[in-house]
Amino acid sequence: MRMLRVLVIDELEARAGEICAGLALAGHQVAALLPTAADLTRRVEEIGPDVILIQTDAPSRDTLEHLAVINAAAPRPVVMFARRGDGPVMRKAFKAGVSAYVVDGLRRERLKPLIEVAIARFEEHQALKCERDDATQKLAERKTIDRAKGVLMKARGMDEEQAYAALRKLAMDRGQTLGRAAADVVEMAKVLL
Amino acid sequence: MEDKNGFNRRNFLLASAGAGLMAMVPPGVRAGAWAAGSDAPEKKEVRIGFIPLTDCASVVMASVMKFDEKYGIKIIPSKEASWASVRDKLVNGELDAAHVLYGLIYGVHLGIGGPKKDMANLMTINNNGQGISLATQLKDKGVTDGPSLKKLVAASSAGTYTFAQTFPTGTHAMWLYYWLAANDINPMKDVKSIVVPPPQMIANVRVGAMHGFCVGEPWNQRGIVDKVSFSVASSQDVWTDHPEKIVGTTADWVAKNPNTARAVVAAVLEASRWIDASPQNRSKTAEVIAAKSYVNTDVEVIRGRMIGQYEDGLGKSWSDKNHMKFFNDGAVNYPYLSDGMWFLTQHKRWGLLATDPDYLKVAKEINRIDIYKQAAAAAGVALPKSDMRSHKLIDGTVWDGKDPKKYAAGFKVRA
Repeated sequence: MRMLRVLVIDELEARAGEICAGLALAGHQVAALLPTAADLTRRVEEIGPDVILIQTDAPSRDTLEHLAVINAAAPRPVVMFARRGDGPVMRKAFKAGVSAYVVDGLRRERLKPLIEVAIARFEEHQALKCERDDATQKLAERKTIDRAKGVLMKARGMDEEQAYAALRKLAMDRGQTLGRAAADVVEMAKVLL
Repeated sequence: MEDKNGFNRRNFLLASAGAGLMAMVPPGVRAGAWAAGSDAPEKKEVRIGFIPLTDCASVVMASVMKFDEKYGIKIIPSKEASWASVRDKLVNGELDAAHVLYGLIYGVHLGIGGPKKDMANLMTINNNGQGISLATQLKDKGVTDGPSLKKLVAASSAGTYTFAQTFPTGTHAMWLYYWLAANDINPMKDVKSIVVPPPQMIANVRVGAMHGFCVGEPWNQRGIVDKVSFSVASSQDVWTDHPEKIVGTTADWVAKNPNTARAVVAAVLEASRWIDASPQNRSKTAEVIAAKSYVNTDVEVIRGRMIGQYEDGLGKSWSDKNHMKFFNDGAVNYPYLSDGMWFLTQHKRWGLLATDPDYLKVAKEINRIDIYKQAAAAAGVALPKSDMRSHKLIDGTVWDGKDPKKYAAGFKVRA
């Protein structure tokens, strides 16, 4: 199990202390412990946590909502219900897609499921992030290949198909990806042309 | 049939007719009300969430003035700390209904940035009464209005200035973005946007977390009194008689509790009518909601703008006839389809929706005109002639609900 950097937001110091102790026992790092703070957006950006644990009744939840909406890479907050810790509410919340888990009384041993939810949230969000990074990279690669084809067409008088074939041969000969070979062609063109 | 409050259908209709207003309700609607089965509320106790803002008044007064008892229910106002919490409690059934941002209910119905669930808008709570304020420090840089703000923002690199609103899909985000865009400032590109809960707005501007904000009253007025901010626009400047808060719930809840839904709307309509009936009633309302268990601020800070006495914190004061309205002869409360669609057009404009939704279909799903008409008949409230209304907004653009897709695509400043 990987170690998570967790940001805990709770205005009650004693309760927050329990959560932090539980997280440490489970082998996670508490990146920071904040009360319901002013300037939360900036603090979250500075700290860059993997997971945020916040009390369900904390006003700052709306701030975290916004971060999640405007930035797909922002961590989805995991919400703690301290009261009304009954099963049906919890199940309903899950089914509805609310990022929530019930922890009644927040006893240390009850933190395990909370952390499991946190990890599930984190992985889901990592998968999203990878997907996005992947898409961004593919797009950039395609642009580079287009530019390399352009270089070959101009410098060597090839048509588009020939330029693509030449790039593919170059990549295969050098054991590189098409994108890497294309980037080299573009780089060389900068020096030579 | 008669419930324990001695309320039955015949008395009810007679009482309404006695008010002399039934004549304004089309006969078809009168006949349609209570057409089938029992009309007793399925739930006697109804928990309605609210956020500490002036416009929670009609929900609170429906309970305090006991308009709810007249319709066989007991409204229990439940103070909530954040819009996200209101949303979660509606979705998982901890709250029956809530005083909630128009755009938020639409956002949840479409699953923007969070859980997706079919939602319902039972009625509009109020028009007007929100505002846009700038931090006092901007005054020292010569900024007092939109054009001077534009000059300052244009002279700095993108993202230098930060503006706060109250929820990503909510009304304040949309008024702020609309106003900035009308002043040729792109809210997505030229400035940074953050969310701050309404009761924390003034504390945040005091510590310099942002340069401007859009929030409901009394918090703009509070900023002036505390000398941390000044007003540059009211939301009625952006769109006179704009829709603001609604009574929101889930589609499931309405399906299970149609009679209760009708009773809630009728009770809140009566409270709305009472609040708008006289300056004395508004004043009394300000006193009630100023209490710790509701808005928790000074009566005077609430009362002034509620009765239209405005000041901007720069030395100007005026009387605004387009102050916050709760009733306005029922014109406020009808769940116009054009109002609902407007929020979708702005969600699309600012990239919260990637593609155009079926605007009219979504608005018809969410806005429960059927329930509203029955409740309006019960409370003797007049109905408008059309499900659409037409207004010219601050940038001169007219919104009439006729071609939402074209309207959404027509803005020059966009995400």
